[in-house]
Amino acid sequence: MKPLIVLNAVSRTFGGFTALHDVTLELPPGRTGLLGPNGAGKSTLLKVLMGLLPPSRGSGRVLDEELGGDPEAEGNWRLRRLIGFMPEADSLVPGLTGVEYVALAGELCGMPRVEARGRAHEVLSYLELEEARYRRVEEYSAGMKQRVKLAQALVHDPPVLLLDEPTSGLDPAGRDALLRLVKTLGTEHGKSVILSTHLLADVEAVCERVVIMAGGRVRGQGTVAELCARRLDRYRLRAQGNTEAFRAALQDRGVTILSDDGRGEWRVAVPPGWGNLGFFESAQATGSVVRSLVPDDETLEELFLRVVTEPDFSN
Amino acid sequence: MAARTDDLLRYRPWRGQPRGPLHAAVALARMSLRVLLRQRLLWGLFGLGLLVFSFFFYAQYLVVWITNQLGTETVRFAGIPVTVTNLTKFLDRLNLNGTAHTFGNFIWFQGYVLVIVLALAGSVLVGNDFAHGSLPYYLSKPIGRRHYLLGKCLAVGTLINVFVTVPAVVLWVEAGLLFDWETYYLNNVDLLLGVFGYGTVLTVTLSLLVVATAIWVRRTVPMVMVWMGIFAFLRMLGEQLARELETPAWRLLDLWNSLYLCGLWCLGVDHETIRPVPQPRFWQAWLAVAGVSVACLLYLRRRIQAVEIVQ
Repeated sequence: MKPLIVLNAVSRTFGGFTALHDVTLELPPGRTGLLGPNGAGKSTLLKVLMGLLPPSRGSGRVLDEELGGDPEAEGNWRLRRLIGFMPEADSLVPGLTGVEYVALAGELCGMPRVEARGRAHEVLSYLELEEARYRRVEEYSAGMKQRVKLAQALVHDPPVLLLDEPTSGLDPAGRDALLRLVKTLGTEHGKSVILSTHLLADVEAVCERVVIMAGGRVRGQGTVAELCARRLDRYRLRAQGNTEAFRAALQDRGVTILSDDGRGEWRVAVPPGWGNLGFFESAQATGSVVRSLVPDDETLEELFLRVVTEPDFSN
Repeated sequence: MAARTDDLLRYRPWRGQPRGPLHAAVALARMSLRVLLRQRLLWGLFGLGLLVFSFFFYAQYLVVWITNQLGTETVRFAGIPVTVTNLTKFLDRLNLNGTAHTFGNFIWFQGYVLVIVLALAGSVLVGNDFAHGSLPYYLSKPIGRRHYLLGKCLAVGTLINVFVTVPAVVLWVEAGLLFDWETYYLNNVDLLLGVFGYGTVLTVTLSLLVVATAIWVRRTVPMVMVWMGIFAFLRMLGEQLARELETPAWRLLDLWNSLYLCGLWCLGVDHETIRPVPQPRFWQAWLAVAGVSVACLLYLRRRIQAVEIVQ
């Protein structure tokens, strides 16, 4: 399968400051999360992918378009035709109705006027905004604004969607609805989605792959399962009986209780050299019974925190 | 039929042929004008502009009618005898005789309304894009900064031409119909070209100035204040300095006067016939206008950075 994005040691500097350090990526088509704290270089990477900034070093390709050169060059316009960008900021045009806003986006992407208008109606209906399409966009609620921004990114049917903090400002119900829409676009309509966010839950809900950035570097990339399965010192443990004593006994032996769901299931981290027999010995000593013991994958949140706090982390 | 209806509820691909970015600029201009035409205040100003045009239109007709009907006769108003020359004296100041000064004067007076319209339009057409962060919406599309600017300047230019160039052409057509049309149209094609030239100078300079100023200040009130500074304060200052220091070049501070001189050059007017005096030379006016346009272009080039679209 042809890669969606290929970056080879791409760096970008602004004067003395390096925003991207030797970023090498090869992303297949699909749904990818771009995770990172503030200042990680996500925005700079998005600008490079959209052809708005040429790399200072290195090379790259998005589908068939090479990156680099003058942002005003025709090649970079063609690149932006392949991409539907949903910005984080409001980016609305006051005075326009929803259908005018989306239709204008279509015309700006090269669609003929009549087709853009028809397509705007279709996309707004698909995104459940058909009742509000003749209202001015500045009158929309937060959830409607996010959906109309998604509509303008989608109107020209780009193969790639770049979504920058798409759930920003949404309540939980609105967030879930939007993420479901985004996932459906990826699974049922063949769109490749790159979701730039600092919200791990959004990535977990939508994405197959994740790229974790910090300090201008890519610290980890792969599927969520690949990245999180590397911890061999974690277990999910369910016990019955004198669980308080059992817990204390484990802690005395150096086991860390990471979380307790309140129903007798714990996530634990064991010290180096630990043998699983230690669980059963502690249980027997305290009159408890081990009901379940399975290896536990690291969560994305834990991985993310580790990436951010460990300067030498890499995978 | 059920399958087709169901199909409409789903996302469908688009497989059309995309057009170039110049079409996008036209679409941008069209939609910007649509937003502008939804402002009620501007309709009042459009009415005012129509009033100025109507005055010139009917006054030109009136002068010719009075002259043709009355010749050298004397008429009585409430018993007071008035000669024809006295009747038309006021209107003659406006040179309503189908000459270059007719169109120059029309555009000069129409400018009072146009300047106010542009001040309000600038904040709606351009200032809002920056105030509401709309730039990412435009520049994330397959267009460049210059297409965005072109679209906005096209919208402003359309306004300017609707206010000055088109009515001036109508006045030219009317003059030909009032006088000997065969002679007038054949002998005054250069005037028509001059009107288009004047309109072009106004379109290029004022559209760049409006866009640059709107991007700088963004809101309506500061825009009006800056506009008043340029077209009222600098005019008074330039006039005062020209008179006190007896140096016509000080009038170059008045941008509208400089544009007027450039327009009169396009219309082929003799410099000695321009009032009020003293006036800078034509080449000085062109230099001033070109300087303003270039300064605006340089500012726009620096200010609209596509990279700002991703925060």
